[in-house]
Amino acid sequence: MKTKTTLKISISGARGIVGDSLTPQLAATLALAFGTYIGGGTVLVGRDTRRSGVMLGQAVTAGLLAVGCRPVDVGVCAIPSFLFLTKAQKAAGGIAVTASHNPKQWNGLKFISGDGLYLTPHQTEEYLDIYHQGEFDFVSPGRYRLPEAFDDASEPHLRKILSLFDADKIRRRKLRVALDCNNGAGAVMAPRLLRELGCEVVPLYIDPHGEFAHDPEPLPENITAICRAVRESKADIGFVQDADADRLAIVNEKGEPLGEELTLALAVRHVLGKRKGSIVCNLSSSRIIDDLAAVHGVKVFRTRIGEINVVEKLLAAVPKAVIGGEGNGGVIDPLVHPCRDSFTAMALILESLAETGKTISALQRTLPRYALVKAKIEGSAEQAHRLIGILKKKYEEGGRIDLTDGLKVDFADHWIHIRPSNTEPIIRVMAEAKTEAKAEAALNILKDAIEAARKKL
Amino acid sequence: MKNPRRRAEYRAAIRTEWKRANKAIPMKLLKIGISGVRGIVGESVTPKLVLDFASAFGAFVDGKPVILGRDTRIHGPMLRAACVSALLAAGSDVLDLGVCPTPILQKAVRELRAGGGLSITAGHNDIQWNALTFIGPEGAYLNPFQGAEMLDLYHLGRFRSADTDNLGRLETDPGAAARYFAALAAFLDVEAVRRARFKVVIDACAGAGAPYLRSFADALGFDLIPLNDEPYGFFPHDPEPRPRNAQQTVSIVKVIGADAGFLLNSDVGRVSLVSERGESLSEEFTFPLVADAYLTRRCGTVVTNYSTSRMIEDVARARRCPLVRTKVGQSHAIHALLLESAVLAGEGSGGVAIPDFQPAFDGFLTMGFILETLARTGKRLSALIGDLPRYHIVKEKIYCPPSRIHSVVDEVKALLGGQAVDTGDGWRVEDRSGWVQVRMSGTEPMVRIIVEDRSRERARTKADRVLHELESLAR
Repeated sequence: MKTKTTLKISISGARGIVGDSLTPQLAATLALAFGTYIGGGTVLVGRDTRRSGVMLGQAVTAGLLAVGCRPVDVGVCAIPSFLFLTKAQKAAGGIAVTASHNPKQWNGLKFISGDGLYLTPHQTEEYLDIYHQGEFDFVSPGRYRLPEAFDDASEPHLRKILSLFDADKIRRRKLRVALDCNNGAGAVMAPRLLRELGCEVVPLYIDPHGEFAHDPEPLPENITAICRAVRESKADIGFVQDADADRLAIVNEKGEPLGEELTLALAVRHVLGKRKGSIVCNLSSSRIIDDLAAVHGVKVFRTRIGEINVVEKLLAAVPKAVIGGEGNGGVIDPLVHPCRDSFTAMALILESLAETGKTISALQRTLPRYALVKAKIEGSAEQAHRLIGILKKKYEEGGRIDLTDGLKVDFADHWIHIRPSNTEPIIRVMAEAKTEAKAEAALNILKDAIEAARKKL
Repeated sequence: MKNPRRRAEYRAAIRTEWKRANKAIPMKLLKIGISGVRGIVGESVTPKLVLDFASAFGAFVDGKPVILGRDTRIHGPMLRAACVSALLAAGSDVLDLGVCPTPILQKAVRELRAGGGLSITAGHNDIQWNALTFIGPEGAYLNPFQGAEMLDLYHLGRFRSADTDNLGRLETDPGAAARYFAALAAFLDVEAVRRARFKVVIDACAGAGAPYLRSFADALGFDLIPLNDEPYGFFPHDPEPRPRNAQQTVSIVKVIGADAGFLLNSDVGRVSLVSERGESLSEEFTFPLVADAYLTRRCGTVVTNYSTSRMIEDVARARRCPLVRTKVGQSHAIHALLLESAVLAGEGSGGVAIPDFQPAFDGFLTMGFILETLARTGKRLSALIGDLPRYHIVKEKIYCPPSRIHSVVDEVKALLGGQAVDTGDGWRVEDRSGWVQVRMSGTEPMVRIIVEDRSRERARTKADRVLHELESLAR
């Protein structure tokens, strides 16, 4: 078996381990290539709350300056606010120093185009070509620009959200909201947003200093503290953001996590109640979405995993898409900005509570029920693809095969999905069925099949 | 080659070759020295180069805090960002002083007991250049041994890299300059300067000294007429303190009745003078002028380099102080200063160090000491200069491929025959009226010829002769 690499450069940007694979030299070179790719101009530089963010941000700044860009340091900034700001400021591009939900020893760079979107796969290919060729457009002193700083990078994003939702109606409901930002970048704006919406905030881990209070993946087992806080404070709802605040998990008023699949489902139902249009989500999002689409008679487009794939389809879908996202709690409302946005998701859910007058558990009960189980398996992308080649033959009977991203097989009452991760050297497997037992059973069959296939490699 | 015609042909051929060689000088000028690395930004000075050297320096200080400063060059922020990143990654806390003269940074390194300092400045080089200067824990330029260790770390290429929890932190120190000027005021006879009510013109050349002129004037209590004190990322003239860059200062000193005019380089390591009569003085005068006054107070060994004017020999001899000559460069001078427990070091380029204050070429101290001397003696600057012996210096340079530079210098020496040659830096011969030195440049791929003599004509003749030999006997 090949050794596991600690560096991953893909359509999701670059990720590595600080002090090991992710060095200032690498970050600066990636920035040189990016500055060369976009041909100079203003580039926003933001970061999540990780301690290594300052170090890498400085390396990025050096790289950008050397090729004649004007880097603007926006400091600690949630990813959706950063994407929004890149477009609002009419910048030529942006570089976000973040490793999203990876453990704290990781960090990474995400590259953003002038329209406030992650580089598309094609753009990434062009960009990486420049990186690999290693020839950069160094400028002479006369063409140097000075680095600048931007205060309060969240403000434009905050104002946009407040302008699009019925803030008065939400305020009248006087909700008590428990909030867990896990000391991540969401803490910069989430308490402000909730207070502006008239909510009483029960804060938990809202210091954006980067020492995560719990594993940053917002899985039920990692968010027990907020569940207790909701019960003790008798809050109406609990929100959990991931480290860069693009994803949102919800806890109901009884202190039970809804499961991250329901965030998108609740948002989709709320938006479809107001506007008819297509839904775009990735392959591994729950079937609830299809059920909701059927109720409203709208179309669902499914894409490869990776936010940019969803966004690209969302912008191109006919009929026009009104909502999109990922089952992992990433909600995309194109009216705010075509990116996953936990703040917009909060506003959508709160507006839904305010307009229906129901509790969050009551809203939860009226959604179709599925159980989605996931697991990670050791293995490189290359191994995953060879495994998929073998598994495809096994699953051909009885299921509908989809090879858009890894292998997805749809059966009448369940589906399974296996694919290599874009950000880590692991293989992700998942299964969804009506009950947890059935889903587990399907996942176990898949895992066994993988182990059997591995022996043939 | 006794046949004169063949000899002429031979010389012509050599000259053509030289011209070609001079044209073929590699475009990517990069100079790695004991105490730092300098080059042209965008060509040799890239983020990668800066990151690698700063990473090596992070390994050199072994994770201890580093004080960082830069001059005002437009590309300074690029080098700064790279240095900050590399040092944090190596686990060193970084204390960023922003735009800061090197002597202020050096004082802070000692005072705060930091692991070292990194000054981003190319001193007297023009705006295309930038450089990293490494400061050791003593607040002095790295000595040759420390420099060799630094280079080994750089060449090894495996840098110290801290994990996430042990990365350095970035901080600022807004009080560093105030502490420096307080120390300077305590070292000098500020009362005498204040009473003299001097009017002083200082041309900061929009360099690192620019934002600090006011604090300097306030600390010493003189009336400041600042020139080029707004940093804008470029220089209004060559940032080398010497007469050809002194027009602005010269044009106002006499008109407004100033007592002295000073020119600074971009990091306030060097100073040249303009007298109250508006006479712009060679940078060679700065060091002997300080020495003349300082050695009467405190006698001891004096350090200078092989290319510095004989004036300092006469001054030291008159005070019965021993003189030690070293290779060119602050690093060598300060190393010898500390080794010999000398009382004073300086160079003909206008850099002066008084170790009782700090072991560093310090332009503020130099200006302050000269003002103190004017106040104490009651003499005018032109009179103090008039007391110094006069020599005539001719400086020439000729480009040479870096790979040939040592052998060329060596071969020219072989032509001198029986004269006593000092080979401390290139070679140097003395006679009763002066001396001739030929050495390679410390910062550029060229050979320098320096000739000093009591007679201007003789100096010129000697220089021409060496130039001629260099051209014709290069092979």
